[in-house]
Amino acid sequence: MIRITGGKVYDPANGINGQVRDICLAGGKVVADVDGGRTIDATGLVIMPGGVDIHTHVAGGSINFARAMTPEDHRRAVAFIRSQSRRAGLGGMAPTTFATGYLYAGMGWTTVNEAAVPILSAKHTHEELRDVPIVDKSCLVLMANNEIVLDLLQAGELERARHVVAWQIWASKAYGVKAVNPGGVAAWKWGQDAKQLSDPIAGYHTLTPGAIIKGLAQIVDELGLPHPLHLHCNNLGAPGNVTTTLESMKALEGHRAHMAHLQYHAYGGDDWSTMRSETVQLAEYFNAHPNLTTDAGAVLFGDTVTITADGPWQHLLYKLTGRKWGNLDVENETGCGIVPYSYRPSNLVNAVQWAAGLELLLLIDDPWRVFLTTDHPNGACFWRYPEIIQLLMRNDFRRECLASITPKARKAIKLPELDREYSLYEIAIITSAGPARALGLKEKGQLGVGADADLVIYHDDPDVLRMFSHPRYVLKAGEIVVEDGDIRATPEGREFLIKPAYDEGIENFLRPLFEDQYTMSFENYPVEVQRIEHPEIRDCMGTE
Amino acid sequence: MGGKVTCTLGEVKNRADFIVFWGGNPAECHPRHFTKYSLMPKGKHVPNGRKDRTVVLVDIRETKSVKAADIFLQVRPGKDFEVLTILRALIKDQAVDPRQVAETGLTLEQLTDLVARMKRAKFGVMFFGMGLSMTRGKHMNSAALLTLAAEMNAFTKFVAMPMRGHGNVTGADVVMRWQTGYPFGINFSRGYPRYNPGEFSTVDLLVRGDADAALILGADPGATMPQPAIDHLARIPTIVLDPKVTHTSRLARVHITTAVTGISAPGTGYRMDEVPIPLRPALKSPYPTDEEVIRRIHEAVCAKPDWIHANGQYTTNQV
Ligand SMILES: [Zn+2]
Repeated sequence: MIRITGGKVYDPANGINGQVRDICLAGGKVVADVDGGRTIDATGLVIMPGGVDIHTHVAGGSINFARAMTPEDHRRAVAFIRSQSRRAGLGGMAPTTFATGYLYAGMGWTTVNEAAVPILSAKHTHEELRDVPIVDKSCLVLMANNEIVLDLLQAGELERARHVVAWQIWASKAYGVKAVNPGGVAAWKWGQDAKQLSDPIAGYHTLTPGAIIKGLAQIVDELGLPHPLHLHCNNLGAPGNVTTTLESMKALEGHRAHMAHLQYHAYGGDDWSTMRSETVQLAEYFNAHPNLTTDAGAVLFGDTVTITADGPWQHLLYKLTGRKWGNLDVENETGCGIVPYSYRPSNLVNAVQWAAGLELLLLIDDPWRVFLTTDHPNGACFWRYPEIIQLLMRNDFRRECLASITPKARKAIKLPELDREYSLYEIAIITSAGPARALGLKEKGQLGVGADADLVIYHDDPDVLRMFSHPRYVLKAGEIVVEDGDIRATPEGREFLIKPAYDEGIENFLRPLFEDQYTMSFENYPVEVQRIEHPEIRDCMGTE
Repeated sequence: MGGKVTCTLGEVKNRADFIVFWGGNPAECHPRHFTKYSLMPKGKHVPNGRKDRTVVLVDIRETKSVKAADIFLQVRPGKDFEVLTILRALIKDQAVDPRQVAETGLTLEQLTDLVARMKRAKFGVMFFGMGLSMTRGKHMNSAALLTLAAEMNAFTKFVAMPMRGHGNVTGADVVMRWQTGYPFGINFSRGYPRYNPGEFSTVDLLVRGDADAALILGADPGATMPQPAIDHLARIPTIVLDPKVTHTSRLARVHITTAVTGISAPGTGYRMDEVPIPLRPALKSPYPTDEEVIRRIHEAVCAKPDWIHANGQYTTNQV
């Protein structure tokens, strides 16, 4: 039992904006009152619900591939020293699993959503998630290039496709559905891409990316998944891709959807030398369409490693950088590409990307619909989030940074005209309350009675970077896990799963297809629920 | 590593119409590979199975696998790197020195024919074995092959995959990477993982006599390592966990018999393409599993006072 007294509370889900209140915790939950237990004097400190990362890549085959490709970065990374209660690990561009938990918690984040899981290697993802301590977890299964689903969509068999998708969500022990470059990864298996929403995909007669987007969004809504279709649009990273992004959003009218890392889909121009930010028209459309949420996918200057299921994009990036290239095509389902990358302020494209991420966060007027992410590790590593918070809260700091980017970029961006500064209340929304709501995790991202006792206590520090990098306390499930930068406890986290309704007979349809196309036995394909550490099966929403 | 362009084995089954085996003898070392994944199966996009695929074997000698191939290219021992480098030049239409070609044991006609076939393929794959990765040039050879496969993607779809060894060596590699960032040769003596193959690899530590105890799991170094390493294992307290008595068991202080994973103990095996496969025991074993033994040893070790007197929980300055 803990009572936290005297702190300024920012709990947007409950409309609390900096009022001083006591918060009582017992049994891992926020409660109305406690009798006895420890008291934390938070006088003069700031309290927020623990951070929620709606889109990150921290576990599974792709990030583990990235670890293999970057041993030189491990040497310069922060190294966690083992103790009786803490495991050894390394931070850096692709942190090891234990370090991932320590780094997230150390910054006040207590829930993370791994955004890309192939069914075929989902066991691997969950094994890694077990080794990410402290934080609670969920993951999204990759669907928009799954050939069994694509064949059904092409045949117009939406009803059967819905049962297959539901079966696959449970088979992979996922929480939601991710669509990456719909049709483009399947085309990449023939060395091609899918760039036009209305063109048939290589290897298919009539199926288009647009039809995949619509079909999956409808299925996700019909299943009543708490998190809407999570879409990584076609044409990621390419100059002029804003047209594709707008078309995708239009295809989604009438459905809920989450637009992943929108920054990478917000460009105008015809080629790399004329690339410009088109965040203004994107934000305008987005603001008028409340069926959508998004995360920034913001970029920070510096070194990172990019990993995505978007194989064709990674091949292009490899050709542009001439650096290392990793690629893994996953049979019948998806693929992934890995390219180490440095974002430089002197580079026009990188400067536009840096500005565009911030612009979206500043131009989208409802903070409940745009969330802080870097698409870790693609735009920057997650442990750099405090730098983005500083950029959002301090216009003068933004101007200083603007002075250091290439002058060529000034005409190609909107950022110099934007003076908006985020308040602490808005920061609590984009880092916690908003993403928790978009994930449908009602007891996360808020501090009302009954909420999970996940919270962070900061010094009220005018130095925003210092404030958000070094919380005074972080509590997870009511336990103090971080105190003044030291990890005090490393409890195991839970994993949220969904078991949507499906006709059990769908296995009779899947089994022969599977035995034909895959290389393992059908019985070995699903992840057994016993493999999940502290699974918590959540309900689908009532479908109306 | 300059990167790796690869796929899971089902992609080979469903798509590969051009398959190269380089420095390996799958017919004898991976007996199920041909039938299950690479040559025989009828795939979604290669409906006629073997008939739809061209198979090339590159090796320094004729092995049993040659029979399975359409084309056999016999490379002079130690010249794999040169052949790969010449191929990298040829795919880009760069000139090559005929004298260098002659030294490889292959003719320019053979190599240009290979390049033409590679470019005509719809989906090419190169499997490479220890004959490439463990002979002269070692990881430089693998790197050259991986680079060739990556560069082929300028012309057509091409991937490469190592033919990994026996047991669950891939699984060990995968787990070590997610826990420490490194696949093997990891030193925890400073409390955090450091990596230096050649310095921290087991064989190097043993030959130098740096280790003062050894816990051996799923391996039999007593049968495969150089004599100085074996002598050191006999000198220090060595503990072996194995379902059977191995060469190493005979020189160890302690041998603990454990259940056979996959037969009488559950677990996960990682295939050579890093796809995890659940292992379900068919039998019960009177012996404990490896996991249980390790867990109990670990609990006993944890009960002892901590030996690392680190200043702080982490360091930003690795030494
Ligand atoms: Zn992503």
